[in-house]
Amino acid sequence: MSNENTAGVDTDRIKKRLDSRKAKMKLSLAACAHCTLCAESCFLFNARDNDPTYMPSYKFINSIGVLYKKKGVVDRATLEDIRDVVWGRCVLCTRCYCPFGIDIPEMIAFARNICREQGVFPDYEEKGSIHAG
Amino acid sequence: MYDFIRGPMVWISLAIFFGGILYQVFRFLALSRTVEEQQIKRPTGLVAEVPPAGTEGFLYALKLSIFRTNPVMVVVTTIFHFCLIMVPLFLLGHNILIERAIGFSLFSFSESFSDFLTWLFLFCGIYFLYRRRFSKRVRAITSRNDYLMLLLATAPFITGFLAYHQILHYNTMIVMHILAGEAMLILAPFTKFVHMVYFFAVRFTVKSEWALGSGNRTW
Repeated sequence: MSNENTAGVDTDRIKKRLDSRKAKMKLSLAACAHCTLCAESCFLFNARDNDPTYMPSYKFINSIGVLYKKKGVVDRATLEDIRDVVWGRCVLCTRCYCPFGIDIPEMIAFARNICREQGVFPDYEEKGSIHAG
Repeated sequence: MYDFIRGPMVWISLAIFFGGILYQVFRFLALSRTVEEQQIKRPTGLVAEVPPAGTEGFLYALKLSIFRTNPVMVVVTTIFHFCLIMVPLFLLGHNILIERAIGFSLFSFSESFSDFLTWLFLFCGIYFLYRRRFSKRVRAITSRNDYLMLLLATAPFITGFLAYHQILHYNTMIVMHILAGEAMLILAPFTKFVHMVYFFAVRFTVKSEWALGSGNRTW
């Protein structure tokens, strides 16, 4: 992790932010049984030919899950990947369903917070910018 | 060694198991708070859906659940979890040991029925393994840990099955069976198996469309 190029990323701030909701985040990630039963509750998953990268579980594991696993020590490219997941593949409609009650939208909103704080967010004026769907 | 894992270690495992469950329940309650119920008004002119009564009502509810989108998974997982709890609890061999230890035990299934349920359980386990390995959507979020969890859940059944049928070396198998069972009890509340707590905790405490009892749409 020490060889990660974290230039332009305030990793301490991410860590602090992660710590502020550590208990819930940790529990949500631990409780996810990777069962994929949440998939069909996402209308984007259904609209995109059952593309697994639109599954609610995939989205929260590959956003807040990555940040948690790396303890906030991530590079800008990783944050940009997370941006594409949390903005590009989710509209926060909050209709996803987890059999164990994991609040996936909250976790995705949390990842958005962290990205935004680091200046990583979609530029809607840019041509060809990402948009959900 | 054998006497230890067959005796005190069982009680230690059970104590950790139930202690762990209690800890997780309190953790859940500590992280939850009471919120005011949302009052979402139905648009005027939109007729309320009234679920039919009786059996039809059950089918109606089933259609609204994940059973409609994932029927095979729902059936398999229900059988898997049913066997996971029922077989060890009502196994003749276990109950004889319990009877000897505390002078009381639950009723037992016949040995052939337990054997049948074990077969069923193992087939469900194979289905999960197949899904993990070959289903595109499951593969997308599978980690090595998921395979370990599946092994941890099925190991007591595999070893118990081999020991009962005296396939391979019986003494080794029975020791492995005891250890596998204890490992599962000890680790269950602290690994992904914690979903056994949250599955129920969520349904009884979070009022939503999916809750047991009077559920409401919250969106």
